[in-house]
Amino acid sequence: MPADASRGPGPLEATWLVAAKDLRIELRTFESSAAMVLFSLSVFLVFGFAFDLATVRELGAAELVPGVLWTAFAFSSVIGSTRAMGLERQRESLTALLLAPVDRSALFAGKALGTLLTLTGLEAVLLPLSAVLFDYDLIGAAPALLPVVALHTIGLAELGILLGAVTTRLRRGESLLSILLLPASVPLFLSAVRCTEAAMRGEGLAAVSSWLLVAAGFDVLYFFVSLLTFELVLED
Amino acid sequence: MAAGDPVRRIARALPGCLLAATALAMPGALGLVFLYAPDEKVMGAVQRIFYFHVPAAMATFASVYVLLAGAAGYLWTREERWDRLARASTELGLLFCTLVLVTGPIWAKPAWGVWWTWEAKLTTTLILWLLLAASVLVRSYADSRELAARLGAVLGIVAALDVPIIYKAVDWWRGQHPQIFRPGSPAPLAPEMKHTLLVCLLVFALFYVLLLVLRIRLAALEDRVAALLERAGDPEVTAP
Repeated sequence: MPADASRGPGPLEATWLVAAKDLRIELRTFESSAAMVLFSLSVFLVFGFAFDLATVRELGAAELVPGVLWTAFAFSSVIGSTRAMGLERQRESLTALLLAPVDRSALFAGKALGTLLTLTGLEAVLLPLSAVLFDYDLIGAAPALLPVVALHTIGLAELGILLGAVTTRLRRGESLLSILLLPASVPLFLSAVRCTEAAMRGEGLAAVSSWLLVAAGFDVLYFFVSLLTFELVLED
Repeated sequence: MAAGDPVRRIARALPGCLLAATALAMPGALGLVFLYAPDEKVMGAVQRIFYFHVPAAMATFASVYVLLAGAAGYLWTREERWDRLARASTELGLLFCTLVLVTGPIWAKPAWGVWWTWEAKLTTTLILWLLLAASVLVRSYADSRELAARLGAVLGIVAALDVPIIYKAVDWWRGQHPQIFRPGSPAPLAPEMKHTLLVCLLVFALFYVLLLVLRIRLAALEDRVAALLERAGDPEVTAP
């Protein structure tokens, strides 16, 4: 085989190819998004009964809505990561993916990017919906809210894919993902809720800069941990 | 394992020596806790659980550090002895963390009036317990010993790196709320209390090392049995 043909795509291109593959599957079936949207709606429903609109108005949306939103996003990320790694179990497609002549860390980056984009799509639906259901000013909060949501979703997608890879290696392991992912991402949730609250209050992000630093540090740390360990999780 | 004879002899005698030392020191520590240390003025006798609680917490943290070392060592070298260290540390961490979580509320109820507060140290310990328990589950679900070792090592690294971040995050989270209870405020200890605590810490350290050595030995035996069964072609072989 000539050396050129065996080289394969570079890491960035490979990342995009893997992510695009997952997104194409998602756009054709909407399996993951449909489950995530319906699940999040149920979360809104449950919280809607727990504190009705009068309570939300009395306490202020900024007190309650961030917790509701991130509860929905957190559990949705469990669904999304399970599904993203579960895709690769069907018809041995994980083996095919591992045979690709690319760096294995690009596989991680690609899967995480695909999950990140799917979660972002979910958030694009859920944020306006939550504004309707819980009556807060999304347009006013948006400039601060969007970077906050993006920063914290990155961490969720990274850790979700790494831990999702761990649990797909186990025959009955899918139920374990929530036990692993939710406790491990506690720092991210705390930061997310605080920053979302600040954004909804219109306080600006300077007030929560240390939280943003924690979230950014979390994202960077687990990005490198995942790059280093993802290959070890997947190898046979 | 190509160690010289004297080293081997020491290694073989180590568990026995540790066992003897722990067996002698443990009643001594109990004597100090119940006879020598004075009653705490406000909390009374129940405060004595502190002499078990604090050393158990120290042993938990020691386990997490050793777990990180074992996990990194295994992923780097792929030698089974590093995995045995990581496996033993995961389980010991879970054991001591359970002790911390059980003794803590017993102490907290008379001291602060509640069994539990969502304060940084407590919350971090609970999350650590969940992560360690999940690691033990993942290891037991894995189809082969080698897969269990790899997944366990990755989870060990994730958990160990997470603990300081969780602590800091929960600390800030709580810090912005009015704090009714001030757990762990450094009250000056009476000298008798300090001596008792120091002895208890030493005894728990001995106990921890003893359990670690025994668990690693057990793991080595488990691995040998599994290898023998594999060689005999037993279809029932699964991860330990």
